[in-house]
Amino acid sequence: MRNRLLATLAVILPLSLPHMASAAGDVVIALDANIVGLDPADLNDNLSMTASRTMLQGLYGFDKDMKMIPVLAESTDASADAMEYTVHLRHGIVFHDGAPFDATAVKTSFERAMDPANGLKRRSLYDPIAKVEALDAATVKITLKYPFGAFINNLAHQAYAISSPKAIAAFGKELSRHPTGTGPYKFVSWQTDTMVVEKNDHYWKAGLPKIDRLTIRSNPENGSRLASLQAGEAQFIYPMPPELVKVVEKNPAIDVVSSRSIYARYVAMNTLRKPFDDVRVRHALNYAVDKQAFLKVVFNGYGVPLESVLPNNLSGFVKQPAIYGYDPAKARALLAEAGYPNGFETTLWGGNSTITQRGMQFLQQQFAAVGVKAQVEPLESGVAAAKIWNVKTPAEATTLMHYTAWSASTGDADWGLRPLLSSKSYPPNLFNTSYYASPVEDAAIQAGLTTADPAKRAAAYTEAQAQAWKDAPWIFLVSDDNIAAKSKKLSGIYVLPDGQMLTEDAALN
Amino acid sequence: MLAYLARRLGGTIPVLVAVSMFVFGFVHALPGDPARLQAGPEASPADIAAIRTEMGLDGSIVEQYLRWAGNTLQLKLGRSSKTRQPVAQVIGERFMPTLWLTVVAIVWSTVVGILIGVISGLNRGRWIDRAGMVLAISGVSFPGFWLGLLMIGLFSVRLGWLPTGGYGTWQHFVMPSFCLGVGVAAVMARFTRSAFVEAMGEDYVRTARMKGLSERVVAWKHTLRNALIPVITLSGLQFGFLLGGAIVIETVFSWPGLGRLLVDSVSFRDYPVIQAEIMLFSIEFVMINLIVDLLYAAANPEIRLK
Repeated sequence: MRNRLLATLAVILPLSLPHMASAAGDVVIALDANIVGLDPADLNDNLSMTASRTMLQGLYGFDKDMKMIPVLAESTDASADAMEYTVHLRHGIVFHDGAPFDATAVKTSFERAMDPANGLKRRSLYDPIAKVEALDAATVKITLKYPFGAFINNLAHQAYAISSPKAIAAFGKELSRHPTGTGPYKFVSWQTDTMVVEKNDHYWKAGLPKIDRLTIRSNPENGSRLASLQAGEAQFIYPMPPELVKVVEKNPAIDVVSSRSIYARYVAMNTLRKPFDDVRVRHALNYAVDKQAFLKVVFNGYGVPLESVLPNNLSGFVKQPAIYGYDPAKARALLAEAGYPNGFETTLWGGNSTITQRGMQFLQQQFAAVGVKAQVEPLESGVAAAKIWNVKTPAEATTLMHYTAWSASTGDADWGLRPLLSSKSYPPNLFNTSYYASPVEDAAIQAGLTTADPAKRAAAYTEAQAQAWKDAPWIFLVSDDNIAAKSKKLSGIYVLPDGQMLTEDAALN
Repeated sequence: MLAYLARRLGGTIPVLVAVSMFVFGFVHALPGDPARLQAGPEASPADIAAIRTEMGLDGSIVEQYLRWAGNTLQLKLGRSSKTRQPVAQVIGERFMPTLWLTVVAIVWSTVVGILIGVISGLNRGRWIDRAGMVLAISGVSFPGFWLGLLMIGLFSVRLGWLPTGGYGTWQHFVMPSFCLGVGVAAVMARFTRSAFVEAMGEDYVRTARMKGLSERVVAWKHTLRNALIPVITLSGLQFGFLLGGAIVIETVFSWPGLGRLLVDSVSFRDYPVIQAEIMLFSIEFVMINLIVDLLYAAANPEIRLK
């Protein structure tokens, strides 16, 4: 509603960009929510991780296509059994507070995150680690509790970013207010909805960063976030609401940037419950939904239909046969075969944001066309926690259909499959809200987890995807794009497929 | 006067205790586990259990209430479960932006509202009265976000005169305080007008006229002063409401105020922040009511005796 109003306004008022000059070398990014914290081991939202990434780096990280790259590490030797990882560190790097970056710093930072007494939110990502040893100043040996082939991907997660040992000792629980890393920018201030960082003059990559100051601020309202870009107060906004793209397309000073995401958007069907325990019903609903139309209606066409349980852009993705084309007649036939010639009634749960509700309403209409009457129930986050995530046993679960999305924060197939499809991942442990259980799937996921051999992992994940695609515990929907908008003068800020951002190369011309 | 003040202050204590119980009970009755929300989607049950203990969510609800009430009395407000900042700091950072925005909005809207009300009352039934009241009806009816986005589109994007949002210089105040005050000014205008019209029919106004005082003196001195008493009450009430933060205006103008904080805290089940914020609002309300009553007492000695 608001968006449409602004869109109308922008059409009525011819756009002219005012000259609200900001100091040369200052870049402002406007995002849709507030930063929650800046201690990387204590964060689980993309926005805060993006903010912390400007200052704190890990042994590994991601390039703009989310390919894993060494950052503070030079290389890593993995043992054949995927139990021991020896990491060789880069030399001559110092933290913002002058402390040297070395093996002891890595050990101190990891051990702080692992210590249950510190109660940090990301401790579970450190769970595989048994011990961390500094072999010499530039070599760290990490021994795991169990074999974990994708462990280096964990090292690339922002939760593994390394804080200065001096800052850890000095600030303790207040580290979140004093982020101190090795990154391109140094902390200046963080108050309510605005964080400011400045150029790190001693950054270890020559020639970077190219700007003096970077501000990240929140601007929750879609229309006014876009207005701040149009008015020249912000140079980059994310997310760019898809329904407003038309408003700025013709603006010569603004670029809309869309990129593929690693979001898989789907409807989980509770496979332990009637009627979804019947695979024919699950197949029928996959035929009942026109995915292209869904994409158009909900995301203005920005995205691609899912071609596997993994999104196309995630490492390990294998394209599955295109067997679920839009075919309502076939859907009705399958429903009749399964004993539901007149369809059935069910409930569709999902989040309560505007765009999520739009998605659910579209699905409701598509289901209705094949005789399935779904009641749409948008759940507020706390209610969702109680109804979906805190369910103690599968029998207790009242979830029928759950419209949701997942992005694997490690950028690896394991985290795209295991939390959602392993029979060990039922709530409250993890995210398997379809209560899907398949011995073949479990074995494949386990096989991929317990080896570091890329060929063996690829084979395992190929099998896991084929099985899930066939069993269809989900209605496979889309992988929607990340859409941002920026001033034409700005370059070098990238939205990663998981929705986090890279700011190291930011430059103004 | 002092005895009256003491009695009234004493009377606020049971109100605040009742409010605290209500707030605590209500917040804890919300569905959703704050530990689960804080831990995030990828946490293990063990992580969640540890967080629950750390947040003081073990023990019976009565124990939890007594612990919280005791701490609150000692001004130990704890830490936000979302950002882990001290609650006093979280609220403190947003209190001044909300207070200033409220003061600016109340001041201009009261002045403008009373002016329109008096002018309309003086010219009852004429076109200027009708114009004033049409303005007032429009003011109440404009949705805040619509007005806000309209102004941003015009003054920030097209003309470039004012910033789109944020908090800082006087320019940042113009649009949000206007949008916030429009509704208040409209209510004030309508209220002042009817109080004014009513007072015009009173005996003392007739007496004043018969004494040969000019219409101007009659209107501004005799009529308005008497008509203002209910307007003061209204102004106090509006002030109290606005101090609670204006969610829509704060969202549209990216204003770092208390309204957005409360909404964010509720969706995160940030118990310490929600509780402290609602207690703060209650105390503000009780205090404003007390001040309004004291103003009455100063004006009318009879009230003190009751």
